[in-house]
Amino acid sequence: MKIHRVLTVFAVVLMIMAVNGKAQDNQAEELMKKAHLALFYAGDDGAAEVTMKIVNSKGKERLREFTMLRLDIAEGGKQDYYTYFKQPHDVSRLTFMVHKIPFETDNRWLYVPAVDLVKRISADDKNSSFVGSDFTYEDVSGRHWSEDNHTLLREDKLGDRDVYVVESIPKEEYKGFARKVTFIDKEYFLPLREEYYDKKGELERIFTAEKIENIEGIPTATLRRMENVQKNQYTTVEFTSIDYNIGMMEDIFTERYLKNPPREFIK
Amino acid sequence: MLKTTGVTALIVLAMMVSTGMAGETYITGFMQGLYGGGLDANNPTDAEMTASEARLQLRLESFSDAAEVFGRLDFIYDDYYQPNYDWELREGYVKFRLGSKLDFKVGRQIITWGTGDLIFINDLFAKDYRSFFSGRDDQYLKAPHNALRGAYYSPIGTFSLIYTPRFTPNRIPTGERLSYFNPMAGTIVGGEENYFEGRLPEAKFKNSEIAARFSRYFGTIDAALYFYRGFYKNPVGLDMVEMAAYYPRLYVYGASLRMPILGGIAWLESGYYDSRDDTDGDNPLIPNSTVSSMAGFERQINSNLTANVQYQNEYMVDHDIYAANLPEGSMEADEMYHLVTTRLTQLLWMETMTVSAFAFYSPSEEDFYGRFSVSYKYTDALTLSVGANIFDGNYEWTDFGAFQKNDNAYVKMTYGF
Repeated sequence: MKIHRVLTVFAVVLMIMAVNGKAQDNQAEELMKKAHLALFYAGDDGAAEVTMKIVNSKGKERLREFTMLRLDIAEGGKQDYYTYFKQPHDVSRLTFMVHKIPFETDNRWLYVPAVDLVKRISADDKNSSFVGSDFTYEDVSGRHWSEDNHTLLREDKLGDRDVYVVESIPKEEYKGFARKVTFIDKEYFLPLREEYYDKKGELERIFTAEKIENIEGIPTATLRRMENVQKNQYTTVEFTSIDYNIGMMEDIFTERYLKNPPREFIK
Repeated sequence: MLKTTGVTALIVLAMMVSTGMAGETYITGFMQGLYGGGLDANNPTDAEMTASEARLQLRLESFSDAAEVFGRLDFIYDDYYQPNYDWELREGYVKFRLGSKLDFKVGRQIITWGTGDLIFINDLFAKDYRSFFSGRDDQYLKAPHNALRGAYYSPIGTFSLIYTPRFTPNRIPTGERLSYFNPMAGTIVGGEENYFEGRLPEAKFKNSEIAARFSRYFGTIDAALYFYRGFYKNPVGLDMVEMAAYYPRLYVYGASLRMPILGGIAWLESGYYDSRDDTDGDNPLIPNSTVSSMAGFERQINSNLTANVQYQNEYMVDHDIYAANLPEGSMEADEMYHLVTTRLTQLLWMETMTVSAFAFYSPSEEDFYGRFSVSYKYTDALTLSVGANIFDGNYEWTDFGAFQKNDNAYVKMTYGF
């Protein structure tokens, strides 16, 4: 009888703990979802001129300039991306298109104008570097929040900004990171800093949103930096001429426009 | 070697006029030095080097709301060919849209379609194997066509039509820098006395080239049907009266599929080569009709390593008739030709270093062609490359065996601006 009562109390305590933990997880997941949407799904579509600076461990710089177009088919879901390269000379006029489908393999196309070649690219590995930078393809288009378990670690300050600090652990073993800590701005819900830890628990990469600007009423990280602390190299990405909700049509993200860049969107 | 036709002059003029009207104009380009040496002392060519050239390419791009104009002009210094200085308009076209469903591209242009990786079944646009075999950049594999290209985008798919008024053949080794197999001599030849040019069809309307494609997506699968009316792109016909090689008439009907599968991309393509000048297959001086098919698969092995494999075969439709009509003592081609290829591309050092290998091997013809290169981007502007083209074969008359004395290694330096 007594044992039975103890067990009951024990079970109730466990349940309360579980519910409590669950609530916190829900809050953490909700925060990560908001951060994901704020960073990768701003507006219904967007166009920007991008300057990417890749700096290796010896301080040598490489520049990539491209136009990037994005259309959200579903908020938090399918997205289409279009990239028109301007610099350096060997990739100039090249276009690249991605149909991103969360939880599935992306469809990717590359058009090489010098040989008039439309190439479909096998996109199994989302952790491949994006054009030789410290950003991976997944860093560019985002990793769906439901692929990780999230825990709200604390509320804190990052510089002069109030932030939530969330820890994310992949549900299934994942090459990109073993653990990630995200600092989410309390006002804008943009991730201001992300720390990627490898399997050994060591810090591998740090993402920082260095500059937040209000673009057409949407807080936007216009200067982003990814540092690989293990390789002692980093990449910065600067977005200019940003335009949201321009009424982009889905047919821009087809082979027709892959071969014929939509000049109205390319500055 | 390079000719200024009236058409190109008109295009240049059109470009200049429309550039004046256009909104924005950009000029870019590169300078490049390419030096290659033969690895086979027995190559019967006069040239000691397989390549020794300096090249300046200027690209002019201009677009307005109405049209887009693009030009790519090469100036070449080559210490073998006479004259040493030459130029070629690689591309010079106007691109415009009529209504919302019709796109046009008119002028000198590079054209590619089909699914294969360096295997072309339904792509009968001119290739430049002289460039391909001697270490020039990939963009030189395709030779330009003076053509009119139209595409109609309908809800059921895309119809493309390419009209090339003057037949544009492949550029193949003809004994200058690279030796080739001459069936009349029965051996690999080169040198001045063996230079040859295939006899081109007369410049008549009926001798134009027409290439058509209908393509559409079924989910993530892209499918296409093809048609070509023109000529074999290599001078594979033999005129015994004039003792001249020429380009026999050819129709091609084909289809292709390409899809993401198993974490990679797979492709299938097939084409029926209808040899119009030898429909019965009894003329041994003209190729017989064939059915050519291929299957390929590409995927990433890891983040920086991509690999693909392809298998192609070619079935001679009337092999019995062909064999029965073959002159005594001739080489008899197999009824079925087989080819396997593989490509490996490894990226290193934040994608500044590219190591690449591409191998062709035909078990039926017992020949091989390997392309190897290492390329390093010292800066965004400056790229250094070294590479080699290696041929091998048990017979001199096979596709790659014919070039077995052309083994070469090259260095290449490119400065872009």
